[in-house]
Amino acid sequence: MTNRLMPNFERVWSQNYKFVCLVMLALAISLVAVTQVRADDEIKVGSIFDLTGGLNIYGIQQSQALHLAVNNINDNGGVLGQQLQVVEYDAQSELAKFTQYTNTIILRDQIDVLFAGLTSSSREAMRPIVRKNNIPYFYSALYEGGACDKQTFITGASASQQMSVLIEWAIKEYGPKIYIMAPDYNFGTISAHWIDHYAKEYGGEVVGSDFLALTVTDYSPTIQKIQAAKPDFVAALPVGANQTGFLEQFAAAGLKEKMGIVSTNYGSGNQQVVVSPDAGEGIVASQEYFMWIDEPNNEPFKAKWEAAYSLDEPIISEAADVWNAVHIWAKAVEVAGTTDSDAVIAALESGISFDGPNGTVTMQPGSHHLKQNIYIVRGNRTHGFDVIQTFESVAPSFEDQVCDLIANPDTAEHFTPADL
Amino acid sequence: MELDFLATLLLSSLSSAAILLIATVGLAVMFGLMGVINLAHGEFIMFGAYATLFATQIGIPYPLAIIFATIVTAIFGGIVELLIIRRLYGRIFDTLLATWGLSLVLYQSAVLIFGTVTPGIGLPISNIQIGDYSLSVYLLFLILVAVVLIGSLYWLLTKTSYGITARAAIQDRETASAVGVESARINTMTFALGSGLAGFAGAILLPAIPATPNMGFAFVIKAFLAVVAAGPVTLTGTVAVGSTLGMVGNITASFWTSVVGDIVFFLLTITILRIFPLGISGRWRMKL
Repeated sequence: MTNRLMPNFERVWSQNYKFVCLVMLALAISLVAVTQVRADDEIKVGSIFDLTGGLNIYGIQQSQALHLAVNNINDNGGVLGQQLQVVEYDAQSELAKFTQYTNTIILRDQIDVLFAGLTSSSREAMRPIVRKNNIPYFYSALYEGGACDKQTFITGASASQQMSVLIEWAIKEYGPKIYIMAPDYNFGTISAHWIDHYAKEYGGEVVGSDFLALTVTDYSPTIQKIQAAKPDFVAALPVGANQTGFLEQFAAAGLKEKMGIVSTNYGSGNQQVVVSPDAGEGIVASQEYFMWIDEPNNEPFKAKWEAAYSLDEPIISEAADVWNAVHIWAKAVEVAGTTDSDAVIAALESGISFDGPNGTVTMQPGSHHLKQNIYIVRGNRTHGFDVIQTFESVAPSFEDQVCDLIANPDTAEHFTPADL
Repeated sequence: MELDFLATLLLSSLSSAAILLIATVGLAVMFGLMGVINLAHGEFIMFGAYATLFATQIGIPYPLAIIFATIVTAIFGGIVELLIIRRLYGRIFDTLLATWGLSLVLYQSAVLIFGTVTPGIGLPISNIQIGDYSLSVYLLFLILVAVVLIGSLYWLLTKTSYGITARAAIQDRETASAVGVESARINTMTFALGSGLAGFAGAILLPAIPATPNMGFAFVIKAFLAVVAAGPVTLTGTVAVGSTLGMVGNITASFWTSVVGDIVFFLLTITILRIFPLGISGRWRMKL
């Protein structure tokens, strides 16, 4: 088959190659021309979130927040007088899809900025690609902290940011002995390290810890170990639906009367909706946004959200993180006067701030993390939270300490507490 | 080692075994009596959990909601058998593919219908105190549930005419047909029974394990391993293997970590299959 085809193909090629080359050249030129024209009258905003699969408890709201923010900007005249156009892909809760779509969205769709990802592993998969192509990239989720890269900007709270205030508060409230329940991957282990770090700083002590796979559903061994260790409070970091069951089983065993329970991520996936009032009441959480906070810009934000989607499902912190990210980027483009990546990154590093639903947030020039409010809240009986205390403008202290992208623009690292 | 620690360890490991058995027994019935590997088993559990949630939301008390969920899931299973499984008997890989596809459809349907988070119903906050330790009464109650469930299933499959014909149809389909057993109808009933058991599992475990679209995934791996390691004498084998694996996994997790618990669970399964390639009950002379 091939033997008979090949000479034929070669003959056609050798006879017509000039013509074929001309056609291809013409096609290439017209393609470039079309892209140029398109790039001139609209700005392309790339979005890759988990719209389906196990992580869509976060991804759907992240995408909704992105569309809401883009519509909000477009309704107010767009950016640099141009309308924003969203190019969106569904990563399906699969890591490989993030790599694939990041390449597609940059090379084929030629986006000007990327908003994407929930898990740290997805961010780490995309970071080298956006770096190579020099596209500003916003990661909007609470995480273990430490990512440091010229093109990467982070609008969620880092573990050290949340943990410093939470652990200090909890040691004062409950006592010094801490038990850690955390998922068995880098978010859990690095967060546990921070708990230990701040426990020592504020006179506490970690008396035990249990790291659990995301598929565990039966927590009786953990509950047994907690009772043997007799802590004053449990720092629980349940991720995903199954680990929500831990809170239910913890309450049912009667442990809530004996000790406190605090978390940096409880509520970030609306876990307070899933757990029963008995189990959810009294769980203390700390994050950069809760729907119930009292800030001047929160009410208008909630009203816009309700008009577009409804508030049947409470707004999660990642949604506010995306909203802030899109607006901070738009502000930086206005400052830069262009969507050119180097100019936008320089503008983002000029100490830009934005009045978000969670108060004023400021992009730290060196670390590319936000200085923002951290709220400590307590679960109530109506699947919501009551604010106990607001810590204003908490700096991402660890990231500011290890990561200075102004002085060292070539840094591309994921720092861990071991780097301290 | 204190006595109160050992006593609670024993009870909590029994409750772990009970949870595993409750989640597995539906799969054991389908695989053992029909030879069908139902990859959508986890999603049938999820189906039962959401059916229970739906029933409680419209005001049906929880105990009745469990019955409602069991029946609805059984009916759903019957429909699945008529529409899909029936056409694929004897084609094991096609059945695997079809049920896997079904699991994806069920998962995404749950996301579309119920969203990603739904209020759960919560465990009753009552517990018993043993020395320094306290245990949830509901988890202890599950041990009783598992015993009654297995007992009534054994009775259903050995003493009732349905059970006898169902086993006849699987042992020798042609002879059974010759004496007037309508094997097609029996198969629909058996698949519905297995589905109903999965629905029951979702319903009874709902307080401890909140209903979410992907909840099934957590059960199906261990359930499959338990059924495969059990071998041909399905019910007794599953009870033996399931309770051993569940208890050993729990005890190791209590002394070390849940990761060690899982490793021991899987190593034990591999060892069983290495020694008994047909499953632990490969040479047993029991009926079920």
